[in-house]
Amino acid sequence: MRISTTEPIVELKQASKLFNTGTTALADISLTIDSGEFVTLVGPSGCGKSTVLRLIAGLESPTDGTLSAPALSTHQHSTAFVFQEATLMPWASVFDNVWLPLRLQGLSNQAARSQIHTALKNVGLEDFAQAYPAQLSGGMKMRASIARALITEPQILLMDEPFGALDDFTRQKLNDDLLRWQQERGVATLFVTHNIAEAVFLSQRVLVMQARPGKIIHEMLIDQPYPRTPEFRASIDFLQYCRELSNTLERAMLSEVTPS
Amino acid sequence: MKNLSDAMLPILTLMAVVCIWEFGVRWAEIPSYTLPTPSLIFSTLLANWSSLADSWWFTVKITFGALLLACAGGILIASIFSLSPSLERAFFPIAVVLQVTPIVAVAPLILIYVDSTTAALLLCAWIVAFFPILSNTVIGLRTIDRNLVDLFRLYRANPWQRLKLLRAPSALPYFLAGLKISGGLSLIGAVTAEMVAGAAGRETGLASRILEASFRTETPKMFAALMLLVLTGVLIFMLFTALSRLLLARWHGAEPMGHRHRNL
Amino acid sequence: MIWRLIQSLALMAALTSLTHAQQAVTFATNWKAQAAHGGFYQAVADGTYKKYGLDVTIRQGGPQVNNRPLLPARRIDFLMTGNLLHSFDNVKNGIPVIIVAAMFQKDPQALMAHPNQGYENFSALKNAPVAFIAKDGQFTWWQWLKVVHGFKDEALRPYNYNLGPFLSQPKAIQQGYSVAEPIYIEQQGKFKPVVHLLADHGFTTYSTLIETRTETVKNNPDLVQRFVDASIIGWVNFMNGDRSKANALMMKDNPEISVAEIEASVKLMKQQGIGDSGDARVQGIGTMNAARIEDFYQQMVKAGLYQAKDVDLTKVATTQFVNKQVGVEPKKN
Repeated sequence: MRISTTEPIVELKQASKLFNTGTTALADISLTIDSGEFVTLVGPSGCGKSTVLRLIAGLESPTDGTLSAPALSTHQHSTAFVFQEATLMPWASVFDNVWLPLRLQGLSNQAARSQIHTALKNVGLEDFAQAYPAQLSGGMKMRASIARALITEPQILLMDEPFGALDDFTRQKLNDDLLRWQQERGVATLFVTHNIAEAVFLSQRVLVMQARPGKIIHEMLIDQPYPRTPEFRASIDFLQYCRELSNTLERAMLSEVTPS
Repeated sequence: MKNLSDAMLPILTLMAVVCIWEFGVRWAEIPSYTLPTPSLIFSTLLANWSSLADSWWFTVKITFGALLLACAGGILIASIFSLSPSLERAFFPIAVVLQVTPIVAVAPLILIYVDSTTAALLLCAWIVAFFPILSNTVIGLRTIDRNLVDLFRLYRANPWQRLKLLRAPSALPYFLAGLKISGGLSLIGAVTAEMVAGAAGRETGLASRILEASFRTETPKMFAALMLLVLTGVLIFMLFTALSRLLLARWHGAEPMGHRHRNL
Repeated sequence: MIWRLIQSLALMAALTSLTHAQQAVTFATNWKAQAAHGGFYQAVADGTYKKYGLDVTIRQGGPQVNNRPLLPARRIDFLMTGNLLHSFDNVKNGIPVIIVAAMFQKDPQALMAHPNQGYENFSALKNAPVAFIAKDGQFTWWQWLKVVHGFKDEALRPYNYNLGPFLSQPKAIQQGYSVAEPIYIEQQGKFKPVVHLLADHGFTTYSTLIETRTETVKNNPDLVQRFVDASIIGWVNFMNGDRSKANALMMKDNPEISVAEIEASVKLMKQQGIGDSGDARVQGIGTMNAARIEDFYQQMVKAGLYQAKDVDLTKVATTQFVNKQVGVEPKKN
């Protein structure tokens, strides 16, 4: 169900992905993401959530079906990806890590300097520009990764379980921050997670997938305006959404138990 | 403080060994032509310092000269291999052959074919030092965080950017590990080649001094030259370990081999 | 003279039969078996050592083998060395060994060159662009050649006992034993090399010396005397008698040598007066005199190989076992 009336940022139409190992990772996936939307993909392990992200990022091509991105500019900086591990270059400082996307476009250290410092300030790492990844905590590394992702002012942000390795408290804090950054920029975001509470808190739409082969079996709308506050987490609506999502997920996992 | 006490243990052990050696030889009245005492070795070293120092310098020059060439060759060829898998498949076996051929057997042949003895020594040391750098760097250029590869793809980096910003830094710990190994091997190669060459005359290193002392039955001098060689090997190892630590300090645990340092 | 010989032999045989079983003795040489070791092999082959109550095992040396440390380490009883320089070094460094006999009055150490390359004169050798000298020589007589005859280190190349490099470079010179290498060169290179004996140009050392521990000389002089005498007889028999058994024994130890080569070598040894010449004709093979040793030492001091006080010459050799005219008799051929 589409909310916006302008052209989608990204549209997958009946996309399938067959790997040369013979595994059908995805079968007949269709989804759209509109400008500024926050969409989450949830599903059991192995359902192909990461593959969907990689298709959209252009790191894989669909074996069948189409991927179109009509509103996406053709510049290389329009898509950003945040991985499960922070994936920072351990030999480079935080500053140099955040510089990377601009550097690959040809921007020198001097030219990019103010942008980098702004990006670091936005994620609260302005004092750590010269630190090295090994000196940072998990949460800080993830912030740096996000700063790097956002520095090119992307139109779509793809995030693959970015907070999975963090403790609850850091995770919640980063959820709050992420929403703030996303709303400030209006960047369309496709977020993958295992965590039901996180999915409900962050997104406007939650797509539930089942595995083998990967399909979207349910779409849930979270009708809660932004900005979302900690109070939302404590509300009845939140609990109901979580319960509904939980039931759907259970169904998704049970339907897997089919001999083939 | 911890570093000091860490260093004390090997130093104390070494001192104990030297003392046992010194007093053991004296007590058992072992003649100096069989096993000299450390004090005799040291005094012989001082007495012959000028000639031994010249030879030492020569050996050091050959060792580091060959090492430099091995680095240059190793890095260059590893980079070519990383850019062209078919070239790698074609030439890697040749590199392996170089590694497994015992230098003791090959050195006499090289000495026949190459006119200048110094060039022949360099070549022998290079052969021994080259392979670890090559193979480690090849692995290092290939072993990159998969996500970083994807990231570079996403931002459409060109091959040169990939090599300079991603592969080269990724390969650094592996290269340094290879360098640590090759440092010692280069010394061994230089010494072995010189032993085989048995070259006397002006441009000679410690191996020739050892040979000469052994032929002239000057056992304390032989030991003195040998001690210098051992010391050189140890210094080389320490040098490259320190270099490794210096360059990789900020990685903290990115060294694929050797012990990791955690600041607790 | 013959009577003296027979008398000594008879006495020895009598004494031996009175003593208990054969004494086991190990003798190490400094190279692979060749004609220059012939006398020792002869004494084994024709039973001379046995007659003197000795069960001798010969342990050959070789290009990669260094038997010298075995003597002070008590692993062998007697050692063959090539020249007096080894003895000077030993005494200088306090190694308790001593020379008891000198089987060669002339050192066969020589330099060889291609014919018709201008090396017919010894003085031309120092200008050779390339000289193949083995490790042993590099650290000893090469130093003497540099000081006394003007040879230069620039020409020095290691000789790894492969004739190839010499054969392929007409201007090269190399070391060898005057009674051995020329034969191989003629075979492999098909030419007769120019040979310059170092002994003819001032290198007056004795050669093929028998060395043993000073403690053996002190505690068991009878053993030393027997070994020396038997070896001398062995040499007499080898040079003048039936060598066939000795040759066979040498070829067993060193399959690379042939009867033809051995015979050619013996001929050269006689021609060049290596073993039985000079004093040996009068005093018997193995003879030494202190004056000649002193003279050689002084020359080496002049050449800078030693300082005057480095070596106590009385410790270098003892003549107590030689100069007894053992084996001296009218020659047959």
